[in-house]
Amino acid sequence: MKSSPFTQAMVVFRKELKDWSRDRRSIITVLISSLLAPGIIGVMFTQLASRQRQVEDVTVPVVGAANAPALIDWLKQQPGVEIVEGPADAEEAVRTRREDVVVVIPKEFAKDFAASRPAPIRLVADGSSQNTRPKVQRVRGLFQAYSSQIGSLRLLARGVSPAVASALTIEDVEVSSAQQRAAMLLGFIPLFVMIAAFTGAMGIATDSTAGERERGSIEALLVNPAPRSALASGKWIAGTATSMFSVLITGALLYALFQYVPLQDLGIRFRLGPAQLGGFLATVLPLCPLIVAIQMYVATFAKSFKEAQSYLSFLMMAQMIPGMMATMNSMATKVWMYYVPWIGQQTLLTDVLGNKPINPLVFVVVGLVNIILAVIVIRATAGLLHRERIIFGR
Amino acid sequence: MIRIENLHKRFGEVRAVDGVTFTAPDGAVTGLLGPNGAGKTTTLRMLYTLMRPDEGRIVVDDVDAVVDPQGARLRLGVLPDQSGLYPRLTAREHIEYFGELQGITGADLRSRTEHLLKMLDMTAIADRRVAGFSHGERTKTALARAIVHNPKNVLLDEPTNGLDVMSTRAVREIIRRLKNEGQTVLFSSHVMQEVSALCDTIIVIAHGKIVASGSPDDLRRQTGQENLEDAFVALSGLAADHSADAEGMPS
Repeated sequence: MKSSPFTQAMVVFRKELKDWSRDRRSIITVLISSLLAPGIIGVMFTQLASRQRQVEDVTVPVVGAANAPALIDWLKQQPGVEIVEGPADAEEAVRTRREDVVVVIPKEFAKDFAASRPAPIRLVADGSSQNTRPKVQRVRGLFQAYSSQIGSLRLLARGVSPAVASALTIEDVEVSSAQQRAAMLLGFIPLFVMIAAFTGAMGIATDSTAGERERGSIEALLVNPAPRSALASGKWIAGTATSMFSVLITGALLYALFQYVPLQDLGIRFRLGPAQLGGFLATVLPLCPLIVAIQMYVATFAKSFKEAQSYLSFLMMAQMIPGMMATMNSMATKVWMYYVPWIGQQTLLTDVLGNKPINPLVFVVVGLVNIILAVIVIRATAGLLHRERIIFGR
Repeated sequence: MIRIENLHKRFGEVRAVDGVTFTAPDGAVTGLLGPNGAGKTTTLRMLYTLMRPDEGRIVVDDVDAVVDPQGARLRLGVLPDQSGLYPRLTAREHIEYFGELQGITGADLRSRTEHLLKMLDMTAIADRRVAGFSHGERTKTALARAIVHNPKNVLLDEPTNGLDVMSTRAVREIIRRLKNEGQTVLFSSHVMQEVSALCDTIIVIAHGKIVASGSPDDLRRQTGQENLEDAFVALSGLAADHSADAEGMPS
């Protein structure tokens, strides 16, 4: 009639999962924490992208449009550009912020243009205004494009290759505020995911330790002829399952989200494809058993849920430190970092999302390190269950 | 059969159990009687192996419980001092959970569970979550899960504490039934009536020491008191502060 410790651990595992699945509060916690990352990122990105699009859809007030009909026609053909009649006093209008930018085409334009001399265009803008700078840039870009296009045509007409005229090709790397914010948000992904893994574990980790003590069910449970290690393992595996569940939801939502978020509008070359998703899961899932083990160890010292939760909230803040440090000042990646839990996940995840090539062996070793540590912590937790102060102390 | 020899346990300066020796034979009900704080629960906790004695021997059937706690637990069914339940599980699930931990599965588990539910008159509430259970229903659930594996030795720590008349009767019924099946039943109580109604042997314990033992008649004879309650009071040396503990001993 005596069953093996493994069978007993599985019995405990099934019971804890069943118990957890009926606990509405802990399920809601898991769902909310899994929605946190995709939700925040989705909303922020969409907002940033729409702001960016506002810049691209630009209305240009022009004074003296009649002086350059060809230029105005060309402008009107550019996507997202609308030409309106400019105010009489351009400088006053910009100074009082009625307009972000006004283009003034002087009378000399037609004469100079026809004579192939540089024709003057005046861009009236307020350089001290942060908000209007992208728009001014965009308008300036339009004229520069026109300028080089006409220049090239003139060279071609004289039998010269336009390439001769450009000594440099300049590639723009945008670091305007929208992009910066987007990049920073991407940097927060690992942090959000750790939170999901942590909160996903909390329900069972507290209920099956401090909860057993608070309800007074621990004595009856320990009287069963099952070794403490089997009981602790069953609870641990159940907690790991819910923690992984939470990470999987987060991963799936992020994956779905990045198929829709208009990242290209922000000029960001970021992709969350199947390969990245795979790397993401291979990085984070092995951390779950360790998170659960540590939570259980800590929560076993607590006599009640409340006590356990206050201990765990400290733990949660502690686990966020590596992520915070990494986002705030990017440390140079050193090899040892991969093999320290949390720091390793943070570094690895940054690599995965940044599309760096990674040796698959690194995943295996990082995962093994986590699981070995988790087993050590769980053994220590099983050891705690032998202490009379833990079993009877209330 | 349970044999305890010269058991000692101290907490700091307090000698909670101080040289307790007794035997609880098969097919008999043995009662540990004593006022609150006498050392009954501590004795039982050592017996069901969750507490290590400082000194002394505990033998369950032929297994030394101090050397092989797990072997001893295989032979025990225990209703501990703290018998908390899992509020989101049903009564049936509690019984099945403990049955499975004991290695009972499938049809065997189902029939045992059904049998216990019937015996304890719990069929109507079997599939309800225990969160809304009354104290009596909780105790019955805890008792059922403790004996689902049909243990040879049953330990019950104050099983009728705080129960109403009907539940008390059900528990007594179970104890008698276990005895008739040849099991060893050892239970603790501070209620005189309870012990005298059920026990073949009463062990009176006070300040961690056994002050008397024997059948209810033996105890009356030893103390020269006709009334068992008076005998108890005389034995446990409580005469001086009788009134303080009076509520625990209905007349």
